[in-house]
Parts: sequence; C-alpha cells; structure tokens
Amino acid sequence: MLLSKNAGERYLLSGNEAIARGAIEAGVKVVTTYPGTPSSEIADSLSDVSKDAEIYMEYSTNEIVAVEVAAGASLCGVRALSSMKHVGLNVASDALVTLAYTGVRGGLLIVSADDPSCWSSQNEQDNRYYALLANLPCVEPSNSQEAKDWTLYAFDLSEKFELPVLFRTTTRVSHTLAPVELGSIHERLDHGKFIPEVGRFVMVPDFARVRHSILIEKMESIKEVSEKSPLNKIVREGGKIGFVTSGASFNYTMEAIDILGIEASILKIGFIHPFPEQLVKDFIKGFEEIFVVEELEPYIENAVKSSASSLGLMKIHGKSSGFLPRNGELSTSIVAKALAKRLGKPLPRKFIDEIPFEEIRKTLPPRPPILCPGCPHRASFYAMKKAMKGAEINCTDIGCYALGVQAPLKIGDLLICMGASIGAACGISKVQERPVVAIVGDSTFFHASIPGLINAVYNRHRMILIVLDNYATAMTGFQPHPGTGLTGTGTQGKRVIIEEVAKGCGVEHVEVVDPYNIKQACDAFKRAMEYLGPSVIVARQKCSLLATQEKKRKGERIIPYEIIEEKCTQCLACIKVLGCPAIIVSNGMVMIDADLCTGCSICAQICPYKAIEISKGEAR
Amino acid sequence: MKECNIVIAGVGGQGVLLTAEILGNSALKEGYDVRVSEIHGMAQRGGSVVCDVRIGKRVYAPTTPDGMADIMLGLEPIETLRYLRFTSPQTLIIMNTRIVEPVSVLMGMAKNLTLSDITQIIHRFYDHAITIDVMELAMKAGSPIVQNIVILGVLASTKKLPINVNTLKESIKQHVSPKYFELNIKALELGLKAGESYLSFRR
Repeated sequence: MLLSKNAGERYLLSGNEAIARGAIEAGVKVVTTYPGTPSSEIADSLSDVSKDAEIYMEYSTNEIVAVEVAAGASLCGVRALSSMKHVGLNVASDALVTLAYTGVRGGLLIVSADDPSCWSSQNEQDNRYYALLANLPCVEPSNSQEAKDWTLYAFDLSEKFELPVLFRTTTRVSHTLAPVELGSIHERLDHGKFIPEVGRFVMVPDFARVRHSILIEKMESIKEVSEKSPLNKIVREGGKIGFVTSGASFNYTMEAIDILGIEASILKIGFIHPFPEQLVKDFIKGFEEIFVVEELEPYIENAVKSSASSLGLMKIHGKSSGFLPRNGELSTSIVAKALAKRLGKPLPRKFIDEIPFEEIRKTLPPRPPILCPGCPHRASFYAMKKAMKGAEINCTDIGCYALGVQAPLKIGDLLICMGASIGAACGISKVQERPVVAIVGDSTFFHASIPGLINAVYNRHRMILIVLDNYATAMTGFQPHPGTGLTGTGTQGKRVIIEEVAKGCGVEHVEVVDPYNIKQACDAFKRAMEYLGPSVIVARQKCSLLATQEKKRKGERIIPYEIIEEKCTQCLACIKVLGCPAIIVSNGMVMIDADLCTGCSICAQICPYKAIEISKGEAR
Repeated sequence: MKECNIVIAGVGGQGVLLTAEILGNSALKEGYDVRVSEIHGMAQRGGSVVCDVRIGKRVYAPTTPDGMADIMLGLEPIETLRYLRFTSPQTLIIMNTRIVEPVSVLMGMAKNLTLSDITQIIHRFYDHAITIDVMELAMKAGSPIVQNIVILGVLASTKKLPINVNTLKESIKQHVSPKYFELNIKALELGLKAGESYLSFRR
C-alpha cells in the first residue's frame, strides 16, 4: 500500500503511515530516526519498504545524530526526513537551531510527534515553540489526509526556501486511523553531490552573523507564503463568534459546535510559523468574541492577541481567560463543556451523567501496564533487590524497565530523561553514603549514556551502571540498535558490544550476566556493590516477547512451567515477589497460565518449596 | 444512519486494536468516513486498553464524546466498567464475562468486584446489554486468541452495526495471516450464532 502506484486509491492510514506515504510520494531518499512513541511508525513503515522504494533508512543512535545524517544528505541535494518524539527534539535541538542558519538544499523535514496527556512520555512539552526558537517554518495537520498531503507541501516549501521544515503532529493525529486518498509518486532524479559553500556551511562567528540575517529575510518571505497558504483555511462562516484552532483541536471544535448547535465561523491554522498575522486580523475583525482552541501552551492565542492588538477591545478566550486548560489533551467533551459554560448553552442529555460512572470506576482495581511474562528485566530486578537488600538508590531511565517502579518490584527512585540516570547517580553518590545504581536499557546505553559513563570514570564516581540488554528497543516496537548489529534496511551492520564500549570508556569492573540465572546475577551485583569505583553490569537476555515470536516463527517449542499441587503451600511468594502475569489464582489455587508462560524459570528458582517445575505436559 | 460510535475496551494482548482496525476498514469499504483511535507504547503491556471506532458520513475527532457511544464492546468485565463514561443508558453493551484478574488483585493489593456485581451493574443501568462467555466460544473455535472476533460476531448479530457481515469477513481476511483465517471465520460464525440465540432468548 505504501508503494502503490494507483493514485486515487483510498486506505485507512494512521497519521504516521500517511506521513510515510507522503514522503514516498515526495521522492524522499534518506530517512533517519530514533524511535519514540508516538512517532515510531513513520520511520518503521519506511524501513519496511526501504529496499523496494530505494530509500536509505537508518535507526540512528539518537535524535541529534538522526537530524545530522538527514541534514548531510539534504546538503547534497536529496530529500531527507528525520522523525522523532517531542522530547527527541530536545536532543536534536543543538543541530536544528544552527541548521536554520546554514539552510539546506534538498527538502528536509523534521517531524516532531508531541504527546499531550503524556500517554507514553515523561512530559508534554509543546514543540511549536521550537519553530519560534529556531525561526523555522512549521506546519501541523489535523488528520491523516492532511498529514500525507502536507508532507509533500512541506518538502516543496523546504526546497524552495532552502530551510528545514518542522512538521508537528500530536498523538491523536499520529495514532488515529483515517481515510487517505493516495496521490502519485514523484520520480526525482536525485544524485547526491556536495558542492562546497564555505560562507554558508561553516558556521564560524563571522559567517554565522551573515547567515542569521539571511534567515530573518527568508522567514519574512515565507510569512507572505503563510498568509496565502491553503493550509490556513476558513472552514465555516456565519454567526457572531469566531474560532481560531489547529491540529487535533480543530476536530474537537467542529464536533463541539455541532453538538451544541452553535452558529460560528472557524479558521483552521495549518501553517503555524510564520504565523499568518494579516489573515487572522481580517478574520477576527467582525467578531465581538473569539475562541482559540488549542492543546497545551497558548501559542496561537498569543499570536491572535498580537494580531488583535490594533483592532481595539475584543474578548479572546483561550488559556489565560481560563476557558481551556493548559495541560493535557483536549476532547470534544472538554471543548463542548467549556463552550456551554461560557456561552450559557445547555449540554445534550447524553452528556449529563445518568449513570454514576465515577463511583463505579473508583471501585475498580487498577490495571497499569506491567512487565510482560518472562521479561528478563523482572529477573534482573529480583536479583538486584536480593543482592542489595534495599540499601541502594535506583536511578532508572526511559524504556520498558521504567515499569519496574510498580509493585511488587518497586525499582526506581528517579527518572528524568534518556541517560539522566547516570549523571544523576554521579551527583547522588557524591553527597551521601548509600550505594547508587543507574539502570539503562541497551538502546538507551547507546543513545545517551556514554558521556555520563566517561564522566563517572574520569571523576571517579562510585556508582553501578546496570545495562539491561534485551537485544531490542523494546518499548517502541523492537527496533534494532548498534548492540544488535542489524540495520534499518534489514542488512547486517557491525555489532557494537556494550561491555567493550564500557571497558573502552575506562571502566575497570565490567561483568556480563544472564539474568535468568538468579544466583549468578545476584553474585555479580554483590561484587559491584563492594567495588570502590564505577562498575558496569550487563544483564543480557533477549526480550521475552521477541524470543517467543522467534521461537514460534522457527517452529521451536515453548515449554511452560507448572505448579506441583502436592508441594505448593499457597504461600503466594511467586506472585507477591515477582508479579508475573503468567502466574494466576484460579478457584483459590495458584496456577501457571501455560499460554502466557515463556518458560523463563525465574519462579521455579525462587519458590521456597520447590513447587514449580518444567511442564511434563504438552509444549505449545 | 447519522453516526455510529463504538468503544472497545479490554486488556493489552486481547486484540482490541485489531478489532478496531477490522471494523474501521470494513466501514471504509462500505463508503463511510471513519476514525479509529489507538494509543500505542506504554499502554500495551498488559494494561488497560480502550479504542474507538467512529463511523459516519463525516467524522472529525478520533475519540467518542462522553455519553455518545452507540455500542460498547467489553472484552473484559472490569475494563468494560472502567470506560462507562462514554456510554449512556441507550448504549448497547456487549460484554465478555471472563474476568482477567489484574496483578494488583492477585498480590492482594486491591479488591476485585465479582462477576455478578458487574453484570448487575450492567443490567441495572442499560436497556440493551449482552453478557456472554466469549472465552468459551473462542475455545470452541480453537483458540483463546480469537475472543475479539467472537465478540465481533455477537455485535454483527445485533443489526446495530451499519456493516455487512461479508464486508467484515473480507476485512478479517486482510488483517489476519492466511494460516489463521479459518479459525477467525469460525469464531465470527460462533459469535453470530450465539448473539442470535441470546437475542431470541431475551425476546
């Protein structure tokens, strides 16, 4: 479907898949990423078709490297795209801001997928401000069709003005499936060629000053484009009130107005920066009241207020008037309720709770996401707890293992951002006596941990770095990374070995353990506790989901464990200590769900009564 | 039909997303506008999952406004209750009666409602509710993994869905590997039949 040559066909695509299709239609040649929800499927789907589409696709070690690789290709005249989650752009921002000065040659799109409501993130920052900060054009679609079409628009814009374009989406656009009508695929005869232009590409201060003024001039011209752009559109006219909205919020606004039966005019902003000031001014002129509907920060609201400043008194409702919240994602319900309150309109009957939903919900047991059956992180955490007896401070990091913070394992005293565990552990170890552990995954190790580790060696910090190596960037969908040796195009790259990197960084105490061997892992953690300098323990075992998938594909048998009823005293140690979802209680008896058990053996190793054994029954 | 909002709730791994995609694609085939919301990542790992399928002439938002669900498909009883705010007394509830105990309950950290508590709540507040042991039918079809398709069959039997059964079958064919196609069709048929007999019994 992504490569279909049949323009006019309609498919149900997520916003992310639509961006991927748009990039193919636009003739993209280089795609880079570091995976992160809600952005991952953009590059993943391009990885799947990279060979047939003749695209170079890579999972870069982190977001700044991804942007630099894409930029390098773009400077040689080919079209490139780099996608990441919102916090990834923090990592890439150093390159991005100066790339605005150098500009590009082939079209370059930087896709930032923001995550209002923190569905899968540590914060809900609003990346539209990066467009202001770097002074780069920014567009934001509201559905899959726009995501596809505007990808082409953004490539053309980028190439015409020789600037990277920030393409912003949010979770509800990236992860919503909606119909998309395909366009035709443009054949581009790109041959990458680097033509030097020192005054433009070498940003020493003298050249940078010149390039900054060129950027300001370019953005003045792009402002004219934005004023007339089809991405900004008055979608409805009438009534005495006006709405200015964009992205996912546009959808909620349309539905809320229809539900309440409000007659109003609606301006949808798709070209976020430079802001179409004159267009907005002309739109809002006739209204006494303007409602700005947007998620997170009052970005459009402030721009509308600035446009309105010469128009005299006008009521503008947004975040600062308390009309809408400044945190969390919006919904049709939130917008409709806020509007009903402000305009004194009655809500439809279905909105009024006839059923005590909240009271019912409060009686329900929580069901947060948990570590999977057979997850090797569970084994590592159990061994850590046993070895360190709770004396340690655990700085955890971004990945599946952050789920270890929940009962019963409760591993995690701190979590900030990719790689922060190591730097923070260094600081904590300097000013207090308790042992300090930093926990990172394999992909996180390569992404952001190496400078922190070298810092620990150089400054002689006493901390233990535990690298949970499960051969995948598991949380985001099992993408490969340097430790797997596989590339984004499915070829064999060179495998980078974590323990060798650690030794190369100067760490003198490095051990590799199999977390499924509890005793071995436990002993290694004890030795690391006693060591006086920085130490690294690599706990290596394949992600259980990945291992199970591979076994099934190869037709290998998975032999589950079972409870020996005569030996089991129903002490529930297995459940209360491990919290493995494969161990259940059925009719008052502890049982192992043979369909979920991966045969990791951890429960058998820790059962005080040796009542868990490998199943003698049928393997699956 | 003005619009049809379907909310699907369950536990990560029960195939909530696949069910939504099959319904969404079927609606597209029937010529409707459609939105399917899904949240990936953290939410998948055995946690609570909810997904919307919104079908109509023109749909904007991916998520169903509070109280506006026409149909609620509950693949698990506790998760059905968790998302009742999207329903009104007029919503058709189709709920699997198989409870999947959350780890918090197994560890003794939280108390669970009993199935009879849950079905009582459902039948008390909703005029149209089907509570059915979907797992039993899935096992009869051949595997617990097709519980989602069984419940889709039950839904198809109610005539509340603006989608033809053959269109559903076509979409299933596109979404599951050929190896499991027969299993899925069997599951759909069992669901259809169970739904029909449930309805005639209630009448």
